[in-house]
Amino acid sequence: MRFFSADMNEQRVAMLKNVPIFHELTNKEILEVDELLHERAYEPDEIIFEEGDQGHGVFIIISGKVRVDPCHKLLKTANLEFGPGELVGELTLFDEAPRTATVVAIEHTVAVALFQAEFSSLLTKNKSIGVKVLNEIARILSRRTRQLLLQEKHCPSI
Amino acid sequence: MRTFPQPSAVTLLATILSTCLLLFLFQKIIWIVVPLLLALMLYYCLRPVVAALVVRGVRHKTAAQFVWLFLQLITIAIVLEMALLALAKSGTWQSDFGRYLAGGQNLLKKTAENLEQMAPIFRSMKMSEQVDILAQQFTDRFSNGNLLPIAMRVLKLLPSLLLIPYITYFMLNDSTRMKKYIIRSVPNAFFEKSLLLFSRLDSSLLNYFQGLILLTLLDTACLAGGLEILGIKNAIWLGLASAVLAWIPYLGSVIACIVVVVVAATDFPEKYWVAYACLVLFLSVRTLDDFIFVPLTIGRKLHVHPVLSILMLFLGAMVAGATGLILTLPLFGVVAVICETVSQVVTDRRLKARYRAARQLTSSQGYDGHC
Repeated sequence: MRFFSADMNEQRVAMLKNVPIFHELTNKEILEVDELLHERAYEPDEIIFEEGDQGHGVFIIISGKVRVDPCHKLLKTANLEFGPGELVGELTLFDEAPRTATVVAIEHTVAVALFQAEFSSLLTKNKSIGVKVLNEIARILSRRTRQLLLQEKHCPSI
Repeated sequence: MRTFPQPSAVTLLATILSTCLLLFLFQKIIWIVVPLLLALMLYYCLRPVVAALVVRGVRHKTAAQFVWLFLQLITIAIVLEMALLALAKSGTWQSDFGRYLAGGQNLLKKTAENLEQMAPIFRSMKMSEQVDILAQQFTDRFSNGNLLPIAMRVLKLLPSLLLIPYITYFMLNDSTRMKKYIIRSVPNAFFEKSLLLFSRLDSSLLNYFQGLILLTLLDTACLAGGLEILGIKNAIWLGLASAVLAWIPYLGSVIACIVVVVVAATDFPEKYWVAYACLVLFLSVRTLDDFIFVPLTIGRKLHVHPVLSILMLFLGAMVAGATGLILTLPLFGVVAVICETVSQVVTDRRLKARYRAARQLTSSQGYDGHC
């Protein structure tokens, strides 16, 4: 059963190649990861997830722009708009904690979601892809944490 | 199997109605329902094998193909074995069947005579004569009226069982994509929760089916070992068939026990204690199942209330006859999990409000677009 033609596969690969966490992957590896991703489209002002929701995964923005509405004092000082290639909700990829902020689409936004269960199966089944993706996520997390600690007004982890 | 809270009355009613409707539909397409159910069970049992191959560096598709090839070889071996058996027994199966029915009838008569000797009340009731007449009437009616239709139904079902390896292969190869396509139809507001419940349902089914296969192996080992000690022929096959029949709640174990006791009574016409020993063996394995094997393997059963189970059995028999009687409880268990999952998603007020807001946004965007 084939769900995509070769052309569509190439388009997907090109689209996902622009996402920093997939930079290190080969085309074949990207197609494997793509099987685990869920694509969603959001209208302007539509909520992607809400503060307090039980989170289960990360949203990667492919196109459009989103805004973060945090309650937490520390996050309010940061720059809270995210665009293509950026991640939101990455903390819940590692534990099922409640979301710490509400994320709303500012314009028509397309995002792909990678969920904890699928990410864990990727790490178990295909270690080489799993390690590359995990490495990139860890890099983003550490950069955001450092920026937050230094109170730079840019990209917090949510 | 269930990891969800108790359902509300509305959910329960929806579950009962959906089960009845599905049973009604399933009896019309039983030739595809049975292979689908067996393929689903095989899929959950073989998924860890495919995953293990993938971990060792085999591509997912190649691993699924390898497992499919293995399944095909097993199917060919079973088909050949059955064809050879059918050829060898083609002339004698009718007389063998009659012999086993007579063996069962003799056992009943002998048991009634023993009871008459022990308790005078049974003698005054002329129990042995009554049992003899009733058993004779039953065997005549069964062999004349019911045997041929049952045999024809089973024969009609056999070719469709060849579909099992193919369906299992497609499930192994494309399950992730199928899941993606199902989830795609869920609105954004319910997406994350649906995905979580889907994943929980999937892991519950995985544990349930793997536990069921382990339980079947344990039951087979115990029954085959016991029957072998008692000197019954084909002990392994009888043990395996009984363990598989036990998949049908309540009825399966009873049918399997009757078959084995009848076989023992026929093969040992002078030693009736062997048939009684088989009965004791079945009761012992049932007790072992309930107190040791089930908690060790499946953990929890379907958790259907006994009154509800009996009600569902009656409803199943009424709606779909013998098919309903067999399928009603497993189907009810699966439908209950699905209904509870759906009710949890659609009754979440926060998600419903978000869904309504998203719909308003979509419609207003559409209106703006036209302007």
